[in-house]
Amino acid sequence: MLENAGTGIERYMNLLSASQKLVASNIANVDTPGYKAKDIDFQSELASQFDNLAPAAKEVTGLKTKNDGNNVDMDREARRLAENSLRFAVATNLARSELATLRSAIEEGKTS
Amino acid sequence: MSLFGSLSVSASGMSAQRTRAELLVENLANAETTRTPEGGPYRRKDVVFEEDPSVGSFSSELTSAMGSSASGVAASQTIVDNSEPYRRYMPGHPDADQEGYVAFPKINPAEDMVDLMGASRGYEANVAAISAVKDMIQKSLDLFR
Repeated sequence: MLENAGTGIERYMNLLSASQKLVASNIANVDTPGYKAKDIDFQSELASQFDNLAPAAKEVTGLKTKNDGNNVDMDREARRLAENSLRFAVATNLARSELATLRSAIEEGKTS
Repeated sequence: MSLFGSLSVSASGMSAQRTRAELLVENLANAETTRTPEGGPYRRKDVVFEEDPSVGSFSSELTSAMGSSASGVAASQTIVDNSEPYRRYMPGHPDADQEGYVAFPKINPAEDMVDLMGASRGYEANVAAISAVKDMIQKSLDLFR
């Protein structure tokens, strides 16, 4: 039981931080000519068996390319930034309650 | 942890936007400058941004070698506008030529102001990204409580 505690959540949090890093990179490169927005594919990464590998960054499709070849959409990045942050808060709360369960299992077993 | 790498990515964006703002402010300040050390009127300067994959942690360099990673930004080059300066007829001016014309920098203050707003918004966006990531790091630390 102990070794399984929070591994799914840990994976999820890792993916969220990788995604947040790409969002930060997209925002930093908002004025870089020729830069293409990147993101990770959550569905396939979560389903992936190789969960030790760094998630693969993919170029986002369906964005409008500006005259300088850059296709960063600031509104999309702002949404992703807020979304990742909220999802991360949910994940940490889940992890915390899982840890609390574990702790109570340990402490109830103590004989005083 | 890759969250700390995102901090340096956003920081690189902030520093690039700051460099850009510095040049734009220089352009505005020198909009009427007719003398420079190189001779002639002041020339408008601007910066070119370039993707910088080396920003971030060791692991990000490793993955960028594999061709897929987040990258920072760097102000790679300063370009100088060498187009013909404006000529104004001011015969009494010390820098006037034989015909009484003075060469003034080819600077449109409105253009620089708009670019400056862009640089300022870009800076703000990077600050917002940093505070969101900081929030996430804080949430992870709270797990220890």
